Amino acid sequence: MRKWVLPITIVCIISGLLLSLQFKAQASLTSNPIGQRNEALVGLINNSEEEIVKYQEAINVLREELDKIENSSPTGQVDIKQLQQKVQKAKLQAGLLPVKGRGIKVIVDDNNAGLNAAPNDDPNRYIIHYENILNIITELKLGRAEAISINGQRIVTPTEIRCVGNVILVNITRLAPPFEISAIGNPDILEEMLLSGEYDLLKGTGFPVSYTKYNSENPIEIPAYTGTYQFNYTKINE
Amino acid sequence: MNKKNWQVPITIVLVFLGVLLSAQFQTQTRVLSDLSMQKTEDLITMVRNLSDKRMQLERELEENERKVLTIKNSSSDELNIINSLNAELNKLNLINGIEEIKGPGLQVIIDQDSPILYVDIVSIINELWAAGAEAISVNNIRIDTNSIFFYTETENAMYITLNHKPLTFPILINAIGNPNTLEKGLTLPGGIIDNLALFRAYPYLEQTEEIIIPAIENPPVFIDAIINKKTP
Repeated sequence: MRKWVLPITIVCIISGLLLSLQFKAQASLTSNPIGQRNEALVGLINNSEEEIVKYQEAINVLREELDKIENSSPTGQVDIKQLQQKVQKAKLQAGLLPVKGRGIKVIVDDNNAGLNAAPNDDPNRYIIHYENILNIITELKLGRAEAISINGQRIVTPTEIRCVGNVILVNITRLAPPFEISAIGNPDILEEMLLSGEYDLLKGTGFPVSYTKYNSENPIEIPAYTGTYQFNYTKINE
Repeated sequence: MNKKNWQVPITIVLVFLGVLLSAQFQTQTRVLSDLSMQKTEDLITMVRNLSDKRMQLERELEENERKVLTIKNSSSDELNIINSLNAELNKLNLINGIEEIKGPGLQVIIDQDSPILYVDIVSIINELWAAGAEAISVNNIRIDTNSIFFYTETENAMYITLNHKPLTFPILINAIGNPNTLEKGLTLPGGIIDNLALFRAYPYLEQTEEIIIPAIENPPVFIDAIINKKTP
């Protein structure tokens, strides 16, 4: 009996190796042509994203410089001081200044464990979609959030939350999971809204989600909006 | 005893095979979210959006450089600072919706019979922003960051609410921007209009030469959020 055990073992190991090699080969066969076709586009995207980051950094430096200059009142001129305060308030409203305060931080992630446990299932059921994030934001607004950001992207009036394929874009910036949603406001009200909506649904379907409340001694920081506001078609209605 | 002798190696081989297979699956799911595996047309859209954004940032950069230069060249001149501040305030007022505005754009009209929920309104507005809308109103109420959409129920009806006030039908969403781009943003295949059609909701779209959008009703109030001054 022992004589045929060894050969069978060897055959099984070899066939196992062959099978796995086959899988690898097929995976690269199916991915390569599309990958090559899209390589140029991905290159373009990466280049644009790098340049955008550079521009945003340069703009931020200038905005801060401008802010400093505008706030360095020359000789206590009353009207300049008033104007400076107005501009500062307007910038705050427009999301152009970083803010901090008490609030809540929510983290939602793809359900990788669930997908690994059911690898034949539709992977789309295990990833966070832009709709999930949009719903959480809507609910945080309902909880009177005063400022919201996702992975460092400030939510302002014209902020769009969308996807291209499986990639989530906010303010045309590519975001990857886990998604960290920060909201400044009354933590108890924000928590109540969170626990009666999308967050609860995600939790119920096995997504790894969590949240932390922050008080004003240990405030949440939310960055300024780094994008631009475009008005090419809008005119003031005199 | 004999049986057990061949069970052990086979078990080992099968476990080994299982590990290999699961590793394979993991690489494949990782590949799914890789950028180069997305649809070419999606990538083209992304490239186009990014280059638009880059151009906008470039313009903004130049504008800011000019502002800083102007002020620096005449730092003693208070009038210049006042002028610069006023110009900035004017743009900020446009951003913050302090003024009534007008421009070409798109109207989305939703009838009484449409089985529409508040999340659908949020989605339509989200798609309009994505398509480059510059300002949006719903039933003549200007939308800003703090606009709150929800619903309220009475004994025999459910209403969508905007800032806790019921929206009456027909719901009229106005967006200022390039009318064509705005319409395409909603009607692209698999987009929001296709999605709503699955639920037998058929919003009516109309490109318009002039839309008037009122100023915001209440400016946002900041109680908990304070300016986060960076220490240099």
